[in-house]
Amino acid sequence: MNKQNKIVNHIKSYAVTYLFIALSIFFIVVSGLDLNYVASQLLLRLNRNAFIVLALIIPIVAGMGINFSITIGAMAAQIGLLLTISWGVTGLPGILLAGAITLPLASLFGFLIGKLLNKMKGQETIGSLILGYFANGAYQLLFLFIFGTFIPLSDKVTIVGASGVQNTLNLTGSVGLYKALDGILQIPFSMIAYIIAGVVAVLSVVLFVRKKLTTQKLVLAIVGAALVVCVLQIPFVSGLFSGAGGRQMIRVPVVTWLLIACLCVFNTLIMRTRLGQKFRAVGQSQTVANAAGINVDKTRVIAIVISTVLAGWGQIVFMQSDGIGTFQTYAAHEQVGLYAGAAILVGGASIDRATNLQALVGTFLFHSLFITAQSAASNLFGDSAVGEYFRAFLSYGVIAIALVIYAWRGAKKTKTGGLDLTKVEKN
Amino acid sequence: MSQVQKKKHSPRIFVAIFLYALAAVLILVSIFGFYLRGAGTTTKNLNSMRTQAVLHSASGGLVDSIANQARADKLKELRSRSDFRTLGLDQVNATCDAAASAARAEAEAIYSNATVNDSTGLENSINAFEKALSVYGGLREKERAIYSDLYVTLVENVPDWTDLVDAAEGDDDKLFSSLSSWASSLALSEHAHLKSGFVKLAHAMAEKEQTADDAELLGQLTSSLTRTISDWTTLSGMDDDSLWTALCSEIEGFSENERFRSNLLQTAKKYISAAEKGEVISEEVKDSGAATVYDTVTDYSFFTASDEMSAASEGVESAYQELWSELTEIIPDLANLDKKMQKNIRTTLENTVWPGDTDFSTRFTAYAAQKGDGILSGTDAFMMRLSSLARNILIAGIALLLLATLLMFWKTLTDRFGIPRTIITLFFIYLCLAAILYDISVPMMLSNVMIRMGMYGILVLAMMPGIQCGIGLNMGMTIGCIAGLLGVVLSLQFDLVGWHGLIFACVSGALISLPLGWAYSKLLNRMKGNEMTISTYVGFSFVALMCIGWMMLPFNNPKIIWLLSGHGLRVTHSLLGSYAHLLDEFLSFEILGVEVPTGLLLFLLFCCLLMWLFSRSRTGIAMTAVGSNPRFAEASGISVNKMRTIGTVLSTMIAAVGIVIYSQAFGYAQLYTAPRQLGFIAASAILIGGATVRKAKVSHVIFGVFLFEGVLVLGQQIANAAVAGGGLSEVMRIMISNGIILYALTQTGGASRE
Repeated sequence: MNKQNKIVNHIKSYAVTYLFIALSIFFIVVSGLDLNYVASQLLLRLNRNAFIVLALIIPIVAGMGINFSITIGAMAAQIGLLLTISWGVTGLPGILLAGAITLPLASLFGFLIGKLLNKMKGQETIGSLILGYFANGAYQLLFLFIFGTFIPLSDKVTIVGASGVQNTLNLTGSVGLYKALDGILQIPFSMIAYIIAGVVAVLSVVLFVRKKLTTQKLVLAIVGAALVVCVLQIPFVSGLFSGAGGRQMIRVPVVTWLLIACLCVFNTLIMRTRLGQKFRAVGQSQTVANAAGINVDKTRVIAIVISTVLAGWGQIVFMQSDGIGTFQTYAAHEQVGLYAGAAILVGGASIDRATNLQALVGTFLFHSLFITAQSAASNLFGDSAVGEYFRAFLSYGVIAIALVIYAWRGAKKTKTGGLDLTKVEKN
Repeated sequence: MSQVQKKKHSPRIFVAIFLYALAAVLILVSIFGFYLRGAGTTTKNLNSMRTQAVLHSASGGLVDSIANQARADKLKELRSRSDFRTLGLDQVNATCDAAASAARAEAEAIYSNATVNDSTGLENSINAFEKALSVYGGLREKERAIYSDLYVTLVENVPDWTDLVDAAEGDDDKLFSSLSSWASSLALSEHAHLKSGFVKLAHAMAEKEQTADDAELLGQLTSSLTRTISDWTTLSGMDDDSLWTALCSEIEGFSENERFRSNLLQTAKKYISAAEKGEVISEEVKDSGAATVYDTVTDYSFFTASDEMSAASEGVESAYQELWSELTEIIPDLANLDKKMQKNIRTTLENTVWPGDTDFSTRFTAYAAQKGDGILSGTDAFMMRLSSLARNILIAGIALLLLATLLMFWKTLTDRFGIPRTIITLFFIYLCLAAILYDISVPMMLSNVMIRMGMYGILVLAMMPGIQCGIGLNMGMTIGCIAGLLGVVLSLQFDLVGWHGLIFACVSGALISLPLGWAYSKLLNRMKGNEMTISTYVGFSFVALMCIGWMMLPFNNPKIIWLLSGHGLRVTHSLLGSYAHLLDEFLSFEILGVEVPTGLLLFLLFCCLLMWLFSRSRTGIAMTAVGSNPRFAEASGISVNKMRTIGTVLSTMIAAVGIVIYSQAFGYAQLYTAPRQLGFIAASAILIGGATVRKAKVSHVIFGVFLFEGVLVLGQQIANAAVAGGGLSEVMRIMISNGIILYALTQTGGASRE
């Protein structure tokens, strides 16, 4: 009975995820795309987008909903990138410089966002969305009229004979920022899989010997690792990743993956610190947190600052990654919040809880649909434009559904017919 | 207590007083500058500047010519050298440039300080030249304005140029008379000289139409390539002829369009080679983005001058010959210049002597650009510069004055109107003053503001019932907008034109929005407290869903669908042939140059009146009670959910009517992603008008839409006059619109959620 309940609950809270898994499989089949192509695109996009999606977790835990103002973090990163290109710093130093510029800028912006969101508690999701739009105006002002006229930049990025920054900046060639992280060390996918399996097996044995792991879990870990190795021996599977038969050899950019892994570890570790406990306390109930002596407003500001800075770095990871190559100066940040928000919700996160795994799974599923939607729609309806629109619908729709489910649950909980009594103020 | 408060605010007052003082100084300086413009010495200085500028532009042309010659000579010399190929491009350039600048310096030493023996002769001929140019310029401006009017009328009204040209059967008189039926003033005898130009225009437009049709057809054929053929590898390795036959048999429409063969084959080959490499073939889908009002740009290449203007042009010619002979007397070498250089010098001279206006600063800037200010002494030069900048200084002074007032009365103003409204109102006042100083035509601006008020007014009104019934800012009004657009498209599908079409579109749009609004309200009733977030995303999702809908719905009128694929609505639908501007032009009249769109404004006022009457009715009062205090309303026996449903449905239906009116005023109906931001625009307008997320009145709607559109129209004009390049007004719209919504959120965003 108890177990059955658990399963029902699990399916209930992950309904969106299972729906998307089904949709993904359906789309991959219908699209008729080569699996090798899908796999390579998926890995590429996972490595491009995971960092930004992971940046959303802390504000969710702190009870601030989906932080759509991560677009502002992306803007900070783009200012950093612009200056880096203008100063002509290339390669890894260039990326590091851009990251270094992003840090103070994004912290400042994050601080301001946090202050503002504290004035609209309960409306953070919409507030951060509109704040993103507002900041976009300021960003356009900065790039169109202030850069190049008041802040001197090199000819490489400005338009000669007019004010403002060029529409598109190239990151390849002499600019040297393209694949500055991705290109450092690239290892075939199967090799990475073997290494991870090996590490997991060795680590679990070590932990078992130190008596930090039960026998059951040890067996599970070793069997899992062995399974991965075995599956990779199947010619069909290994064919997917190796370059056999004129297909593309799938390689993994190790440095970027390490960065993503570090962020996952950071997200986990910070929850174990005092600050992390504060985040969770504030997220569960601001009144209780306040009574426990936690400075609620300050905690929320810190959460947003961290998220904004991480999103900025995520945008740098995105811009340098394989297959981008150009920097759309005025538009690169626009869809960042939408896609990241949709991705984390697809992974089963909700407005008030999220984990690393959900973020990664969500990115994976969301982008698998993204890759296949066009071909699938063109096969189903005879029109590839439908696929484009379907992608937009997915992004917005999944956010709408998540918001509705969350509000529905909240309304059921209060049992006042959904009327939130505290909302009715005296004015 | 009051002591403390006073102390706390004193720095602000000090800053305000300082700003007042600064503003006063600036305004005094600018008045002094304006005064200087009238002084006798100024006129004299200006004239001597003009003479100097004329001399400089003549000698400058000569110097340029000599420097260019030197550069060319050097290049020739280098080329003849045997080691020319070993020299790098940079080195060649550097050597040539050095030669050119040396020659330039030498020539400048000779010519730039030309000795003028008889300055009165020169000045007289300059005066004559200026006069001739001003007569000619005035005539030219007038005639071009007439031409432009006719051009715009024709281009906006003639529905099909090809038909028009075909109907005339090569007879120019017949073509001209049919053109006159579209623009009646064309038939006037004083416009007879324009005939040949407009006949040519008609032919050119017909040709352009043909090319545009061809381009669209080609685009559709190209996109049908990706749609129809799924596996390109089967086609690889064919030669052109067999590939074309294969495509013709595969895709309908190809065999009839032999003329696109090479284009289509090229695309097909690209796809085949991509398919061979295993890449995915994808077609970019263009996002048309938010609505922008298109202005017809006049093309002057079909302009022909009247006899009067030709005579004036001859006058200019003779005056110029006079001036030129005076100049060659002073600088004899001018006569040796080649034709091209002489023509360049003439253009410079014309622009310098007649910069298009007699306005002081225009003249000063034009003369100064040709180093005319070099002749003035230090003090004179400063005074002249001061008076030429008087206007800019005045604008800055006014800005400071307003800023100081804002700071001085900050508390009183913000308590009464709220921070953003205070700032926006003051900004509006500032823009009005700046508009007067920038010589922006006030009547045209007023007409513009009125049209845009009528255009957006009803959409803004749609926000009102939403706020009153307690769902707050109804961002999901895009649902209603889409229903209204469906109404418009239906009216086009059935070829309804004129009032029938407009009324049909309004009624059918409202009817479609009824069930949609009802379902939407049921959703919102379960989401109390989160309406704004939910409604925004429900609106976005619905727009995205309907993008698929527009592609899939079974419309079949060839005027509104993509021709070749035979399904899917186009993005932009012109209403020019059916009911564009119908309401604008109903009873419209012109007073003091202001065109009043009577019908549009009357309809807006009528809708506002209905809304006002409704809010006075029993249901309306109950609804307002629910919005302002749901607990109290529930206690007094009002069904909260029912009232919210009524309000939401009403809001959705008004939005549906609103978008129809918007489209007819705009002249185009835009589908797909275009309606996405409308909710934000409407919300910000009503908030600027003074509404909050709990209270809204009809006056808020009217005041808000006036202020918002006024700031945008004025801002756009002034931004264009002040800074080159667009974009600033769009930035302003984004920041004002989202800033005010953010402010409203901070005011009500449940600061005491728990």
